Amino acid sequence: MSERGRAWVEHLRRGGTTPWSSFDGGPSGLDDPQEGHLPGAQQLELLRRLNLAGSPSPDLVERVVRASAPGRGRPDLELVGAGPERRFGPRPVDPAALPDAELLRVATGLIALSVVRSAPPPVEPRRPRRWRTRYELVGDPYVATPLTAALAADGRPPGGPGRAVLVLGADLPTMLARVWADRTLRGSVPPWPEFVARVHARDQLPRRVDLAAVAARQRSLPGTGRVSVVLEPHALPGLLGVRTLPTVPPDLTEPAGELARRVATAVSLHVTPPQQADLLERVLLPRLVASDAGPRPVVPPEHRDWVEDAAARLHRDLTRAGYPVVGDPGGVLPGPWESADASPTVLDLAVRLLLDGPWEGVS
Amino acid sequence: MSERVLLHVGTPKTGTSYVQDVLWRNREVLAQAGILYAAERFDAHFLAALDLMELPWGGLQSEAIGAWDALAAQVRAFDGTAIISHEILATASRAQIGRALASLGHGAGTEVHLVLSVRDLVRQIPAEWQENVKHRAQLGYAEFLDEVRDPERATRIGSWFWGVQEVPDILDRWGQDLPPEHVHVVTVPPPGGAPEVLWKRFSQALGLDGVPLDLEQAERANPSLGVPETTLLRRINKRVNAELPPADYRPLVRELLAHQTLSRRRRSPRLALPPDLHPWVSSISSAWIEEVERRGYDVVGDLDDLVGAPPVEQYADPDHPRERQVALAGVDAIKTLLLDDARLRHDVERLQAEVDDLRGALERAYATPSYRLRRAVYLRLESSWLGRTALRGYRRVRGRSTP
Repeated sequence: MSERGRAWVEHLRRGGTTPWSSFDGGPSGLDDPQEGHLPGAQQLELLRRLNLAGSPSPDLVERVVRASAPGRGRPDLELVGAGPERRFGPRPVDPAALPDAELLRVATGLIALSVVRSAPPPVEPRRPRRWRTRYELVGDPYVATPLTAALAADGRPPGGPGRAVLVLGADLPTMLARVWADRTLRGSVPPWPEFVARVHARDQLPRRVDLAAVAARQRSLPGTGRVSVVLEPHALPGLLGVRTLPTVPPDLTEPAGELARRVATAVSLHVTPPQQADLLERVLLPRLVASDAGPRPVVPPEHRDWVEDAAARLHRDLTRAGYPVVGDPGGVLPGPWESADASPTVLDLAVRLLLDGPWEGVS
Repeated sequence: MSERVLLHVGTPKTGTSYVQDVLWRNREVLAQAGILYAAERFDAHFLAALDLMELPWGGLQSEAIGAWDALAAQVRAFDGTAIISHEILATASRAQIGRALASLGHGAGTEVHLVLSVRDLVRQIPAEWQENVKHRAQLGYAEFLDEVRDPERATRIGSWFWGVQEVPDILDRWGQDLPPEHVHVVTVPPPGGAPEVLWKRFSQALGLDGVPLDLEQAERANPSLGVPETTLLRRINKRVNAELPPADYRPLVRELLAHQTLSRRRRSPRLALPPDLHPWVSSISSAWIEEVERRGYDVVGDLDDLVGAPPVEQYADPDHPRERQVALAGVDAIKTLLLDDARLRHDVERLQAEVDDLRGALERAYATPSYRLRRAVYLRLESSWLGRTALRGYRRVRGRSTP
């Protein structure tokens, strides 16, 4: 291991922020000459970014230095100029020139381990209340799933004969963003622009937000009472027989969703799919929305015509089928298109999340 | 604690599937010879490698959780020689290799031997592109070659290719803590030789000579495709990737179409290295041969096998195939899909008939006067609080949930 390389590692361990290319070397400050290889350039550059953004804990510093990046990508790279030139293997690099994606691989692996190790105890649901409205929430999964879980924990489990089925909806761009956000937590979705492109290519709405089809499917099931499409969230407490609604997470921004997607894949290396969704919802999601509040993902311009047409078809189907709609049926139509604002990058967000520790139970 | 562990870490496309199939099918024979091939399922070592290297693999990773530690624990607990084999281990990082060797008892008394099977790049390069296409890749051959030749190796394709193919680098990463005599390089013979030669080399490197293994049942898996067949598959990928989930792609495209149908078309032109790339490949191969010789590893076979065959006389470019050949491959693919669809339709019809029979039997049972009376009473009771309370009491007494 080169003296300059070791000195840079120690510099970073002590909170230094000097880039490798500007680091003038000097003694490492260590007494014992250490054998072995330096940590990869990806790990070291991530540590430098953490130092630039805040003060990582000594525990986090060691975790970064010892980390392996999960998934496919470039192997742990050597620092350019840190040692004799090798004839084989990947070329050494200037770590500051590494693309964000390489640093993100390391960061998401670390966040995933934090998520897995800080699993909260399971929630014991309250005993079902004797007098409760029989309901079932379907449609927009980003709202229906956590709302149902919160109501069930409060002694209002869904289902039962004659249940009122509430098909939750919103304007189509919002619903698409929420379907994507929901799927990011399950690790089975491409990045947002590709997701919208695929929906467009299929020319078919995601199953859960094709509200008319959802309502038709629900109506055909035995034991179903009144089926309503709810486009007005303020009406929900009355329909569910509660005074106030449990809080549901705010919409994820595109960087937050992208980070969730990547962390979900890394978490899937450690826990089974049902545990994965639970952990991400209960551990990662609250931290993500706290770290990056902002607008939901914006539909790329090349798909907006299709989204407008699909929303118009949905509006027509809902009106023709004659389902009771709580709110304005035109609420499924897109509003004025917003432009994507300057959000933090996914790497910025990952760094913020790592610095925001401590994660409960992480060792 | 194992006395000896033989760790076969690659490279891909060197007969590894065959070796693993022989080992898997002969687990009991091996055990009688004091050799452990610890596997509850045929892909156990693949799962262990995924776990060690933290690789997502189309959802399969959930079956791999804890697989490496479990495998290493079995190896440590075995008193004898253990064999571990999977080709994706070639791309493990130094940190992962350190963890793997320590978990197998290296440094604590176990003698670890590394086995690396290698084949010339003249065959490996087209084979890797084809393997990518069989794993949903859409990129053309020229694009693949550009990524492989990019010295930065910054793309997914380039970094993976050299991670599993650059022989001196793999040996450097895996063999850094091992004496050279414990590192065994098995070369794949040139094309056209007797197929048993390669097995004899593996047998020697893995210490299997003299073990009465049954080689008849083992499958020489991973059959290769020709030029028009690979092109067809790439075009199919372009059309279906967005809509066909990995769980369906594997059995339908890779198995049914690629392995069971298109690989049987043996008369179409074979994939080859473009003639103009031979000088580049030749310089790399020479450097590898020189380096492996210099390090003093145990070579099983002949390092000159890495030189590869000369350029083919008639090169068939898969990016500009003969469309007639692709169309004929397409017709074969359609035939297979139609026959498979017909088989499934017959299955559906048979199952539908069974469902109809069962439904009829159920309806006849429901049509009895006593059932109708019980049903009417039940519905009446369910409609009132008093009735529901009575039903609960009745169920408690009966000990079941239906009346």
